[in-house]
Amino acid sequence: MPKLASRRVALQLAAIAAIFSAMPVAGPAVAADPAQIVQSTAQQVIEIVKTKTGADRQAAILGVLKTNFDMQAMGRSALGTHWNQATESERTRFLEAVATAEAKAYSERFGQYGGQTLTIGKVTPRANGVTIVESRLNQTTGQPIKLEWEVRNDRISDVKVEGVSMVMTRRSDFNSYIQNNGGKVEPLVRELEARAAR
Amino acid sequence: MTVASRFFWPGVPGQRNHPGSALMIGVTRAIAASIRRSVVAVALAGTVVGGCASGDTGAAEVWDPLETPNRFIFSINRAVDIIAFRPLAVMYRDLVPDRAQTGVRNLLDNLGEPVTAINEVFQGDPNRAATTMARFLVNSTIGVAGIFDVASSFGLERTKEDFGKTIGLWAGVEPENGGFYLMLPAYGPSNARDATGLMMDYLVDPFRILTFNLAIDWDVWQIGRYGLNAVDYRSRTIFALDDLEKNSVDYYAALRSAYTQSRADQIREKREKTNARAELERRDNLALVR
Repeated sequence: MPKLASRRVALQLAAIAAIFSAMPVAGPAVAADPAQIVQSTAQQVIEIVKTKTGADRQAAILGVLKTNFDMQAMGRSALGTHWNQATESERTRFLEAVATAEAKAYSERFGQYGGQTLTIGKVTPRANGVTIVESRLNQTTGQPIKLEWEVRNDRISDVKVEGVSMVMTRRSDFNSYIQNNGGKVEPLVRELEARAAR
Repeated sequence: MTVASRFFWPGVPGQRNHPGSALMIGVTRAIAASIRRSVVAVALAGTVVGGCASGDTGAAEVWDPLETPNRFIFSINRAVDIIAFRPLAVMYRDLVPDRAQTGVRNLLDNLGEPVTAINEVFQGDPNRAATTMARFLVNSTIGVAGIFDVASSFGLERTKEDFGKTIGLWAGVEPENGGFYLMLPAYGPSNARDATGLMMDYLVDPFRILTFNLAIDWDVWQIGRYGLNAVDYRSRTIFALDDLEKNSVDYYAALRSAYTQSRADQIREKREKTNARAELERRDNLALVR
């Protein structure tokens, strides 16, 4: 018996040692708290809406989109199957145009800051590396708005407003446009660029 | 017991012994079954025609076989909306005092309460239906015909149910799948499931039956009610729809997707009590597709 027990202890020690020795390697890859990412993103956006207007605001929001959001993955899934047939330059231009269009949309959407706050709810990590962060945007008047964030690799990869996913809606939108314009990505990219320049 | 029948009999005690509700659940069941059948047919047709539909979870693209007529109706709806309906809704929102708007909203909600209660019975939640009827009684009397929502301050929270949600709850398919997409004249986006639900709600509505049977100016009251409902609803969707239109390259497709997702979310919330895991697994699959 004591022999067995000591063996178990030795095994446990070995296991602990293995974990500890592996840790420095895994260290840099340890993910930040997804709820924290969502909270800080919301805080940054609220701060921008409070202090900046017009082109300043749009530029600042574009900055937040590029640092906190996984625009590459979002753009890619928004383009769906058409991503594969797009050329490298089309992809770059597409991502750039989408980012600008989203920044513009968000900077106009918020208008003036109306005292909204974000309350983080349930956080559900999934086996495939995606974490779903539920939250509520509390307004000064009326019902709170249900927001759900999808966080992957420390970056936000989708936002659902009252169950409507930003990426899915864009995907439908873009796919339909591509289908009605000869099945090519080029017309969509041009349209988005024209809208971004407007 | 098959998966489908488990959806229909989620083990609600008492539900099965109730002859009246058994009949109605039978009706729901038949509708749900026909939707499922159509869904299977679509899935088969999709595989045969499309060939490459595998791997897609179906959430991204809405089944829209009537796209051409739908787009036609959509363009008429939009023209009417731009010329008459939206301006009316904007005036209502900006000119009518907020308190009056709240009163109108409460009144209309109160008239809709019986339909919600009926649906809650069909959804297998008689307790919630009783709460809704209690709300209706309190607000209709103390709340002066429903103008004031007194019941909420008593702790009786408001719910809003419709038959589309009821069908979606029991149909054993993804709630994104509501049969074919349908653009209804004047009413707007819908699908096979929700249009059926709309009709059922209309048929079971006690106020419609009452005004009809009493032969009081039926059309005046009902048209007034539906008209007011429409203006009120439009006034609360101005912001969201303007935003969607401005930021989409194909408004029709964007609205189709947003409508489908939003309805699916409402139905999923109903299902969630029993089936939260399925939703998370569906999302895993979605992430894999990406």
